[in-house]
Amino acid sequence: MSLRRPATPLHDRPAPRRWIQIDPILLIVTLLLIGYGLVMTYSTTAETRTFTGDPMQFVVRGAIWAAVGLAAMAAVALFDYAWLGAFAPLLYVFTLGLLSVVLAIGTSSLGAQRSVNLGGLSFQFSEVAKVLMIIVLAKFFADRRASIGSPLTMLLGLVLLAPAVFLVYRQPDLGTSLVFIAIFFGIAFLAGARIWQLVALVAIAAASFPIVWSLLKDYQRARLSAFLNPYADPQGAGWNIIQSLIAVGSGGATGKGLTAGTQSPLGYLPIAESDFVFSGLAEDLGFAGAVILFALYIVLLVAALRVAFRAKDPFGMLIGAGVATMLLCQIMVNVGMAISLMPVTGIPLPFISHGGSSLVSICFALGVLQSISMRREPEGP
Amino acid sequence: MRQDSRGFIPVRRFIAFGIAIFLVFSTLTVRLYDLEILRGDYYHVLSEQNRIVRLPVPAERGGIVDRTGYVLARNIPGFAISVIPVDLPRTREEELSQRLGSLLTLPSDSVDETIRAQRIRNPYEPVRISKTPVPREIALAVTERAELFPGVRVDPESIRFYVDGTLYAPVMGYTGPITEQEFEKLKQSGYLGNDDIGRTGIESIYEQYLRGTYGWREIERDAALREIKTLALQRATVGDTVSLTIDDRLQKLLDAELRKGVDDDKFTQAVGVAMNPQNGEILAMVSIPGYDNNMFARGITTAELAALNGDDRHPLVNKAIGDRYPAGSTFKMVTGLSALSEGTATRETVVNVSASSFSVSGTTFYDWRQHGSLDFVHGFAHSSDIYFYTLAGGTQFAPNVHGVGPDAIAKYARMLGFGSPTGIDLPNEDGGIMPDPQWKLATFDEPWTIGNTYQEAIGQGFVAVTPLQLLNAYAAVANGGTLWQPHLLKQVTDAAGKNVPIPEWTSQKLAMTQDNLRLIRESARRVVTIGHAYMPNLKIPIAGKTGKDSAGRNKLGFHNWFVSFVPQADNTDPTAQIAMVIFTYDSSKSLCELCLNPAVGMTQRILERYLGANK
Repeated sequence: MSLRRPATPLHDRPAPRRWIQIDPILLIVTLLLIGYGLVMTYSTTAETRTFTGDPMQFVVRGAIWAAVGLAAMAAVALFDYAWLGAFAPLLYVFTLGLLSVVLAIGTSSLGAQRSVNLGGLSFQFSEVAKVLMIIVLAKFFADRRASIGSPLTMLLGLVLLAPAVFLVYRQPDLGTSLVFIAIFFGIAFLAGARIWQLVALVAIAAASFPIVWSLLKDYQRARLSAFLNPYADPQGAGWNIIQSLIAVGSGGATGKGLTAGTQSPLGYLPIAESDFVFSGLAEDLGFAGAVILFALYIVLLVAALRVAFRAKDPFGMLIGAGVATMLLCQIMVNVGMAISLMPVTGIPLPFISHGGSSLVSICFALGVLQSISMRREPEGP
Repeated sequence: MRQDSRGFIPVRRFIAFGIAIFLVFSTLTVRLYDLEILRGDYYHVLSEQNRIVRLPVPAERGGIVDRTGYVLARNIPGFAISVIPVDLPRTREEELSQRLGSLLTLPSDSVDETIRAQRIRNPYEPVRISKTPVPREIALAVTERAELFPGVRVDPESIRFYVDGTLYAPVMGYTGPITEQEFEKLKQSGYLGNDDIGRTGIESIYEQYLRGTYGWREIERDAALREIKTLALQRATVGDTVSLTIDDRLQKLLDAELRKGVDDDKFTQAVGVAMNPQNGEILAMVSIPGYDNNMFARGITTAELAALNGDDRHPLVNKAIGDRYPAGSTFKMVTGLSALSEGTATRETVVNVSASSFSVSGTTFYDWRQHGSLDFVHGFAHSSDIYFYTLAGGTQFAPNVHGVGPDAIAKYARMLGFGSPTGIDLPNEDGGIMPDPQWKLATFDEPWTIGNTYQEAIGQGFVAVTPLQLLNAYAAVANGGTLWQPHLLKQVTDAAGKNVPIPEWTSQKLAMTQDNLRLIRESARRVVTIGHAYMPNLKIPIAGKTGKDSAGRNKLGFHNWFVSFVPQADNTDPTAQIAMVIFTYDSSKSLCELCLNPAVGMTQRILERYLGANK
């Protein structure tokens, strides 16, 4: 019992009472999205005619990861999130350590060094790092509510963020490093940061764009140019964008049907099970399938915000805000990229993209949210 | 207590966050609506174009047979050798280029260049290395030692084969690769950039029947342009079989005789054409020297082509229709028919050829001997030049005979088909020249002279004819006055064995009386029985007319003609089933009036053997 109970002012309720306060909507929408993700993995890989092997291998692997993710979620929910706050400094060091390990011994794919092999399974540590960074930043701002108006607080927060962003950027994974920055803004915003300070930060970022541009890799610059005019190089940098638009558009109102899409099984869509999974979804299930997905996402985000809103302390609230920001940012960037509203960056679509790291990390984050929900003040007597 | 502890919740910022979520999803939904609902059809077409390609399936070219069904042109399997760059390791590219180059006798640089260009264009698509169909042995050499030929593919492909190449080349022509300009015009009709097309002869003129209908195959392909599966297939339909009016047996008899004449050094060039006067069907057509059209079918080398083009006997020209010669005494038939038709002469018109030459305004005109008194039949049979000078322009030898004049001769000559192409179903037919005073004025700016009339009367001077024109004119006399459009096409049969409609052949009735035509037939028969072309021990009633001439001012170039027809019985009825012209030429020999005309003996041998076997 004492192991589950931190020394200081945290008060935990008896177990039965906590389970009643689990957020059912958040849980149900999580399960629905995991199911949707498995269906899409099946749809985009079962008929793939460009590689050999068991056509169900991706679905089986996805199901195993889903089970692992759900188990992690349950375990984390049991855990009092206050402990996370208590160990925040340690988590921070751990996060930077993970990201350094990726750079040191990571395996590269498509020119980027993003994953680490653990006993035959490759794991993208930056996915976990995002969730850990949410906790660290939430703890940082929760502890500094009194001095939130001071520019120094913001500056310190940025100093905390910078090493992680830099390490991810060096992989290189521009997309994920942008998610880190978005998380910072989301948490700072709900922590009560001065609006003018946030605007000033954005302005500084915009002003420093030429410097950032010069630091970008060639392929990143090509992607940005291709975003502005994909037809300048339709066989090269513009290929992904054009093929993705064709996939999405050809889906029409109700899609070509599960596994009936042609763009991803025939290899026209690159990385069709992850980065461009939304294009495959829109091709197979059409506008209707996409709108259903959006509806599930909205329910998920609102449920996450509700957990934050009802949290018993600022730490819990800010974790909720951070998780919601992370999800919204990833959805916006991934879907936006598939329909050419955003430049191409390799960010997974929550639940839908095939990949264990992303799914388990999100389940972990949602487990923390359930922990926050379970430990909120009960409503009414 | 609870109110206090909830003070940290920034309600307005939560609302702002909610609005942000709403805005993000609204934007995404609006964009998706635009892409999927408003422009869905457009993108659907694009996705289909991405993955579905329609590939042509070439049709086998139709065969060509003679009137009895004997095959003259068919297809034999050959092989195409291609390289798929993606299957060829870069490190072995040079080695393979050299090996393929020596195997196919191509420069290895160009092989290497072709592979490298394809590697850039589309490395998954095979690029053809062999320029011409490759024989089985070489294809086997490649497939059996596959480890020496990485990335090399061997595909079957058809190669045109002409059974008696040189014998029929002037008629048959050949096929060859389509040119850029032709392709631009023909791609609407389904031709492909690497198609073969009939280049000349029957192959060219009946391309529409022979080509067949190409099919197509719709395949699904992936982003790497690899073929995944066939979605739909439309089979190709083999081209129609073209049956010619040619009789292979006669063609071979004719060719053997003419070739023997060349071998015996009697002449260096020869033409022989035979037709059925009753319908215009060409039974045989030989032009010597010729060429082997299989050289073109398998891809002619530059050296071979240079040799053909450098030969001053023009082996690539079908001389039966493609070149013009002086008609010589064979033209006396035209002069005679003109005078008879205009009434300036009759069968009884007598000319007393009391000398073998005479002079008009300083020019001397000769006959080949002092014939004495001749009527029409004998004038024709003995081929008296003075007799026909008299019919054409009038002479001192028969003061009461008025010459019919050059305009009348030209009129009847044109009626008989001289001066314009016969319309035979072969490309590049020459029209010859049929002069008259107006023509001379327009061409040379000089007035017509009586000398011109005399020359024209015996087929010299300006008159120029093709062997086919001459044959066709005699055939019209032989059949009782119908000038047919000569033709080689007998029938066209499609793959299912059904007859395909073919053009109707035209014919014209000559404005000449049956009596006059009969008189010519009788006279022509006398040429053989008592006259200029006496044939000893003749077993069939051949009738005909000889001709000799020399070309050019130096009198070098010796032509010999014999044009003949064979009535069904030894009478003057228009029943002939066969007419034939033989023409021989030697550019190094000069005119020799008393030399033997080789065409006469050859005609007797050919027709006796051909008809003897027929009867």
